[in-house]
Amino acid sequence: MGMSVGGGGGVKAEPNVTPMIDVMLVLLIIFMITIPQINAGFKAVPPEGQNLKPHPEEDGDQVLGIDDQGRYYLNKKPIRNEDLETAVRDIYGQEREDYIMYVKADKGLQYLKVVDALGILSKSGVRVAALITEQQPGTESLVESDRIKPGGSQ
Amino acid sequence: MGMSAGGGVSSLNNEINVTPMIDVLLVLLIIFMMIIPMSRKAIDTQLPDPNPQPAQPNVNPDQIVLEILPDDKYAINKEPVEKANLFNRLKTIYDPRPEKIIFVKGDTMSVYENVIWAMDQARGAGVKVIGVAPK
Repeated sequence: MGMSVGGGGGVKAEPNVTPMIDVMLVLLIIFMITIPQINAGFKAVPPEGQNLKPHPEEDGDQVLGIDDQGRYYLNKKPIRNEDLETAVRDIYGQEREDYIMYVKADKGLQYLKVVDALGILSKSGVRVAALITEQQPGTESLVESDRIKPGGSQ
Repeated sequence: MGMSAGGGVSSLNNEINVTPMIDVLLVLLIIFMMIIPMSRKAIDTQLPDPNPQPAQPNVNPDQIVLEILPDDKYAINKEPVEKANLFNRLKTIYDPRPEKIIFVKGDTMSVYENVIWAMDQARGAGVKVIGVAPK
C-alpha cells in the first residue's frame, strides 16, 4: 500500500490481483459444490458431545446412517431395513483390518431405532460401533488420549 | 466508479477497488476449507456378542450398568441418579476402579441424544470401554 507513493503523478505500483481472484473464485466454487455432495443423501443431525474420540475419515470406512424418520442408509445410499443385515454381512463377513462401523444417527431418534440397528450390526459381524457425534463448540475432551491429533495441524 | 473520471488528468485511476472483495473471498475460502476436513468424531461402543454363551454362570457382580430411562432420567445399577450428579457419581465410581468398563442400557423409549449424553459423561469420568446392552 505504502509503495504506491512513488514520486511522480501516474506511477502505479499495485500488483495485478486479477489472476489471484480468478483462482480463489474457482477454489470457492469447487468447495461450494463439494460440500453439499459430501453431506448428500440423507438428513441426520448428529448429537453433540464433549468427550469424543477423533476418527479421521478414511477410504474404507463404512457408515450407517439413520435419518430422523428412522430410515437406514448404508454409505449414504438408502437401504431397506430387511436388506441391511445381508448388506452389512457382505462387508464384514470377510477378513478385514477392522470391524468398526460408523453410525450417524439423528439426535432426535427414539433409542429403540438405534439399538435395533446396533443389534443388526452385531449379528452381521460388526464389533465396534462408532457413534458419530459432533463436538460441542468451545469444548475439549477431558480424555487425554483424545486430544492427541494425528495430523498435528489445527 | 465512473464518477471519479472527472477532469481527465493522466494520474486518474479508473479501476475498481477490489481489495475488500478479495478480503471477503479469502474469509469465505478459509471458512469452507475449515469445514471440509473437519475430522469426524465419535464415541466407540462395543456391540454385544451375537452368540451369547448358553450359560453365564458368574455374571460379574460388580459391573456397572448405566441406564437411560425415558424423560431424561438416569440410573446406575438400578439406583436413580440426578442428571446433574451423574458425572460426579461416575467419577467417584471409576476413579478408584481398575476396570474402566461400563454397560449402557438405554430404554427403548429414551431419546438417542440423551443416551449419547450419558456415554459422553461416562467417557469424561474415565470410562474406557462402553458396552451397549442388547435390547
